[in-house]
Amino acid sequence: MNLTALGAAIAVFTGIGAGIGIGFATSKATDAVARQPEADGKIMKLLILGCALAEATAIYGFIIALAILFVK
Amino acid sequence: MNISELIHEILLEDKTMIKLPFGDGMFDIKASVVHTWIIMAVVFVLILILTSNMKVHNISRRQAAVESFVLFVRGVVKGILGEKADRYTDYICTVLIFLGIANLSGLFGIEPPTMDLNVTVALSLMSIILVEAAGIVEKGVGGWLKSFAAPIAVVLPMNILELFIRPLSLCMRLFGNVLGATVIMELIKGIFAPVLPVPFSLYFDIFDGMIQAYVFVFLTSLYIGEAVE
Repeated sequence: MNLTALGAAIAVFTGIGAGIGIGFATSKATDAVARQPEADGKIMKLLILGCALAEATAIYGFIIALAILFVK
Repeated sequence: MNISELIHEILLEDKTMIKLPFGDGMFDIKASVVHTWIIMAVVFVLILILTSNMKVHNISRRQAAVESFVLFVRGVVKGILGEKADRYTDYICTVLIFLGIANLSGLFGIEPPTMDLNVTVALSLMSIILVEAAGIVEKGVGGWLKSFAAPIAVVLPMNILELFIRPLSLCMRLFGNVLGATVIMELIKGIFAPVLPVPFSLYFDIFDGMIQAYVFVFLTSLYIGEAVE
């Protein structure tokens, strides 16, 4: 059995962290907008930045999975 | 098409576009370089068209649009950089516009140059050199070296590691996002070509590309603003 595919699948588990992170960020942002609707723009900017940073972990997992599968 | 065939085609195929005789062998010019040239030419022509015939009074509608766009982009970048570092605004704006157009170029059927790891590595090296140079210009060499041990000496190894982690994460984030978006779009096109890709293309090609260009520029400016403090 070829175990490299399994290794790549484990690397993609980083997506869990990214999902939880973005979920937290969005829930807090929703709270903040509900509390202070006038700070909408600033919160949106920070939310997008935070989501991009959290998403990066998933992207690293993706790159590592590709590297495991295709770089010999 | 088979997924592994597709990824082989995107990742591992020889991307050499032009072979120039150079010395004893050949000097390979990659597709990403040629695509960057195309983007440069497009931007250059756009700039020439948009900035020709500018006036102080009775400005045309085109000039008003260009001025408000430039002021908007500069305002956004200056807001992140802060007062002390606003001399770097023009470089950051240039990178923002290049990355924006490069990430959108997938829409016009050419492969985005940012999908080549070499391009994103070069961009992130430029960013980290600018960050450290900004620190040296602001504080002098001694002050820059001392800033590695700030606020306490224990964080010294962390700060030295950060010198390598920052450009690595910058280039991997951009590369991975653009590559991932392209792979997913190719897969969706393989499922049902005529209609299905349209809404996904809106997200993966336009929104994601713009967000990543913004994040790259945002982080670079944040680092510069931190370096000159």
